[in-house]
Amino acid sequence: MTAVTLETSTAATPARGPRGLLWAMLRLHRSALWFWVMLVAVGAGALLWAYGPGADAAWTEYHRAGCDATAAGDLACDMGRGAAYNRYDAAISLGSGVLALAPFLTAAWAGAALIGRELESGTAQLAWTQSVSPVRWLAAKLAVPATLLVSGTLVLTLVHRMVFSADGALRLAAGSRAWYQGAAFEANGTLATAYALLGLAVGVLAGLLQRRALGALGTAVVGFVILTSALGALRPYLWPVETLTDKDVYPEYIGMVVGDGALTSTGARVPDPICVGDAKCLAEHDIVGFYRDYHPASHFWPLQLVETGIVLAVAALVVLIAFRLLHRRTGAAA
Amino acid sequence: MTTTLTATTTPATRLPRGPRGLVWAVLRVHRTALVFWGLTLTAATAGLIWLHTIADDARRANVPCAEPAHDGLASCASIEALFVDDIYSDGIALVTTALSYVIFPVAAWAGGALIGRELESGTARLAWTQSVTPARWLATRLAVPAALLTAGTGAVLLLNLWARTDDNPNLVGDWYGPDQFAGIGPVAVAYALAGLALGTLAGLLLRRALPAAGVGFTAALLLHLVLERYREHLWPTVTRSEKGEFELPPSAWQQGWDITWGRHPGEGTPLSTSATFHPQSHFWPLQLVETGLLLGVAALATAAAFWLLRRRTP
Repeated sequence: MTAVTLETSTAATPARGPRGLLWAMLRLHRSALWFWVMLVAVGAGALLWAYGPGADAAWTEYHRAGCDATAAGDLACDMGRGAAYNRYDAAISLGSGVLALAPFLTAAWAGAALIGRELESGTAQLAWTQSVSPVRWLAAKLAVPATLLVSGTLVLTLVHRMVFSADGALRLAAGSRAWYQGAAFEANGTLATAYALLGLAVGVLAGLLQRRALGALGTAVVGFVILTSALGALRPYLWPVETLTDKDVYPEYIGMVVGDGALTSTGARVPDPICVGDAKCLAEHDIVGFYRDYHPASHFWPLQLVETGIVLAVAALVVLIAFRLLHRRTGAAA
Repeated sequence: MTTTLTATTTPATRLPRGPRGLVWAVLRVHRTALVFWGLTLTAATAGLIWLHTIADDARRANVPCAEPAHDGLASCASIEALFVDDIYSDGIALVTTALSYVIFPVAAWAGGALIGRELESGTARLAWTQSVTPARWLATRLAVPAALLTAGTGAVLLLNLWARTDDNPNLVGDWYGPDQFAGIGPVAVAYALAGLALGTLAGLLLRRALPAAGVGFTAALLLHLVLERYREHLWPTVTRSEKGEFELPPSAWQQGWDITWGRHPGEGTPLSTSATFHPQSHFWPLQLVETGLLLGVAALATAAAFWLLRRRTP
């Protein structure tokens, strides 16, 4: 028992709280840290407001307009966008907007402030002459922001999911925000977190490549924009699609539509000859039906997880390149 | 007469051609930004010329239709399957959105690279010890990018209007869409100039590159969000009230409906309907008011920047 007390007292001698590299990082980037905390708080606050009073007010407005009584097609209810619904929608936009913007801000910050400025001013080189090896320096620069980013984005994702699952009927009534639409798709799953980590990796690599704060900022943002738009374009093809077929007309429009066209009697898919309804023309082209490829809502998680895997793999590759680059630059010191 | 003329013109011709002095220094220091701007403009120009060449095909693929096909109208389902109008729509939307976002990189660059870095590293103070007064230094730093931004965004804006040909809202979006509105009128140029002025002010306030880039970007983001949110209040709306119900044309920017029902809400025809909206004729008043506001913000920020510089320097 006494030994245990002794052990704890030696451990308690250094100052409390984080120490060493971790402390230096948190201290140096305290404005970025507070900014991130504020961003998460604002996003989560807006989403929680939408979940509670925002949704209540929008429902009250919806009932008062008599929309649950009218058939679909009523003008005022089709718009579904009274002032209360607009506020509800704006609050959700703010929450998912924070998640959508975070990866870009992270890339810019990581390229400029985290790495580029340190290399430009020589602070990094100074640190390497102390007891910190370049590899440990870079590992800390990646690990600490990554931990904070993951915590923040996960909190926002969970709150966003809660809002999204609670008032689906309201959004359906107003005809906005389907599960597959960009910001909602990312904010409802693991992708927001994965893209934030990719932003960090791209920013770090840009900083190491350019070794200048502002140059790295530009490179990181432009590079990340190109990378995310390429990955986003792949999204519908990451999981096998379901197909609906119909004889005379196109099947109905449900879920994330990937492609459509005409079918011949052999089952071959051909471009539409543009003559639906004209039996003679259809017979001439041997068209017997039409198809539409789409993802139903049940494909949300498969699509989400495959894309997350790809994004994380790209991020890992970028981090690997960053470490190799640092090793080559600093040679044996690493 | 002859003597004065020769005396003033001869020394000028002896200097190398092209921009000189401060203008040359600005262009040379910011050559990366200049090259980036040039490449962006070239890409936008090439893209818009190409979009103009496919505009007619896109319109052919975007025609009135009926389901099932009758009366000489094509079937809607088959028309939907044509791609060229999608490519055209996406291309126009990309350029229009990019135009409405020019303010963000401009503000970050002006705060960070144009002003903040120079003050942080002391290059600005070195320049002021040469024959350049602080006011002239700032004036050149604002005038050169302002001229390039006005010329560039103005040119892309005109090309964009040309490539949109007849402004068919089914292809190029409604005039009141947030990005459309900011990408098809003079506000596009005004946004870019406001971004330059806000970034410059942020740079002078903070005197450090990265914080100034961040604050410049944030200020531009706030300005953009606020104007997008309150745009519809910049000009009085039109109200139309009628007995029974009516519909508004798609070109109307609808603001609100007020429907009075009889005893049974939602059944049959309502007693009266009243709608507030902006008709398409409000495009120019709305554009001009917003342009005026943006130029006002730019002028205020510029004045504040000069005032701040004068207070800081003897």
